[in-house]
Amino acid sequence: MAKTSNTVPKVRKNDNCAYIMILPAYLVFTIFILVPIGIVIYYSVTNFNLYSAPEFVGMKNYLTMFRDADFLISVKNTLLYTLCTLFPQLFLGLMLAVMLYRKSKLIPIFRTAFYLPNVMSMVCMSMVWLWIYDPTFGLLNSVLKYFGFSVKQWLQDPKMAMFCVVFMSIWKSCGYSMVIFLSGLTSIPDSLYEAASLDGAGGLKKFLYITWPMLRPTTFFLLVTGIVNSFSVFEQINIMTAGGPLNKTTTIVHQIYRRGFLEFKMGYASALSVMLLLFSILITVLVFRFGSRGQDVDVS
Amino acid sequence: MKKKKVNHILWIIFMSALTVFMLIPIIMMITTAVKPIEEIRSAVFHLLPQNFTLNNFTDAMRAGTWNIFFRNSLFITLAAVVFSLLFNSIAGYAFARLTFRGSKVLFMFLLIGLMMPPQVTMLPTFLIMAKFPMMGGNSLFGAGGTGMINTYAGLVIPLVAGSFGVFLCKQFYENFPRSLDEAAEIDGTNKWQTYFIIYLPNSKAILATLGLLKGVSVWNDYLWPLVMTNSEDMKTVQLALTMFKTDGYIQWGQMMAASVLVVMPMILLFLCAQKYFVQGIVTSGLK
Repeated sequence: MAKTSNTVPKVRKNDNCAYIMILPAYLVFTIFILVPIGIVIYYSVTNFNLYSAPEFVGMKNYLTMFRDADFLISVKNTLLYTLCTLFPQLFLGLMLAVMLYRKSKLIPIFRTAFYLPNVMSMVCMSMVWLWIYDPTFGLLNSVLKYFGFSVKQWLQDPKMAMFCVVFMSIWKSCGYSMVIFLSGLTSIPDSLYEAASLDGAGGLKKFLYITWPMLRPTTFFLLVTGIVNSFSVFEQINIMTAGGPLNKTTTIVHQIYRRGFLEFKMGYASALSVMLLLFSILITVLVFRFGSRGQDVDVS
Repeated sequence: MKKKKVNHILWIIFMSALTVFMLIPIIMMITTAVKPIEEIRSAVFHLLPQNFTLNNFTDAMRAGTWNIFFRNSLFITLAAVVFSLLFNSIAGYAFARLTFRGSKVLFMFLLIGLMMPPQVTMLPTFLIMAKFPMMGGNSLFGAGGTGMINTYAGLVIPLVAGSFGVFLCKQFYENFPRSLDEAAEIDGTNKWQTYFIIYLPNSKAILATLGLLKGVSVWNDYLWPLVMTNSEDMKTVQLALTMFKTDGYIQWGQMMAASVLVVMPMILLFLCAQKYFVQGIVTSGLK
């Protein structure tokens, strides 16, 4: 076997076994991600209802969408949820990270505690918060009563329901941002802070002129992934409010689920899915264009 | 440096308070699980149970076939983790180390999966599973039967797809020293042997990280099992939890007890393998 020739081949040969190596992963990816994207676009222009053959209806589903009050509300709710969850969550994550960025034996304990909600299932945590928000037996109203305030309806109150879901989601995910920000912080060279100290900069100035600009790529990453995640919010909605009261918490994915799997309007639900895809692409592109400005912080 | 010490103590107090605040919901879950029903439904609220009881646990487990639910969840999680690790790491190796025509384009395509909310393809994926040829009584053209609905295959296979896994493995293998490959080549191994003898045994760190992330997400998944199953026998623990919530009436004690049991494996896993978790989150965040 050991016929090691001394001539190095000029042109690298094509490793044909590579195709077989990527085959399993690529097959699953193609069947369950690429092909479905095509199918969902195709069904979105049909009136498919799961039982009869799909019939081409042109743009009818898309036109219906803009007269569908439930869908329009769900878009508004999804945007509201994204705005109200993402920014406080990023801010809290950053604050926690900054507070934990020091030397102490207690750091792992705090870090674990803040991150813990994130490894627990959304279903369990929704259940727990459902209980906390319960108007008669819940923790929140018990505390309010104890201090002599009037009790609230929380999730049953159309004005408050969305913010209750938002609060719970922030609580669950701020630990994730914290861990990412912490790793961003560790990659900032100490020399920068030392130089700033020599120039007489205080804590706040150091944060504004060193920490914040240096964390830009981290923030950017969290922003993009956070938007895609928030756009597909479903589990906590379905469990805590089922879209109610008065459709105040219904979201795009909740509408897709309802139209598709409860009402079997597959064609229409496909059109909604395509809209979700377009929204996500649009926002991601916008964030990329906007966020890539001033990306280059010059540090040597 | 007295001021520094005072500052440090203040910091500890503040962070501890914050920790307790963050953990309140989790503490509530545990304390409610061990409270008797009368206490949960009493007008006076106590944080800690006045009468400790485990009845909620036994009642909750008796309320459904929980041994089946746990078995389903465990099986689905393990299968998804094993297959996704194998498929994705070998693909990652091919993309990182082998030269083949179209590798750049194929890899770019794969990245689509990173940018898209998975719910977009939920509907068509469900239909593909329902119409899968030669499965669940389906004909060659996917008609007649129920396809992969209510089967383990239907629950597991779509979850094996992982652009993220391939991406991360590729990054990881690119940092391997080239001399390893060259040494292997001199010894006369082919690419498969190089992967299985050299790369795979040396990728414990990345596999542990990916496996944990995948495992947690599959165990905690709610939407896909909700869509794919409708029989009691195929329910996962996350779906089963909703049994305590029927219109207008919620069995708080039993629900919290069951939640504790469902959450426990993930907490233990997290506490034991924290290092890999943090590493995984960090590497995924700083690509």
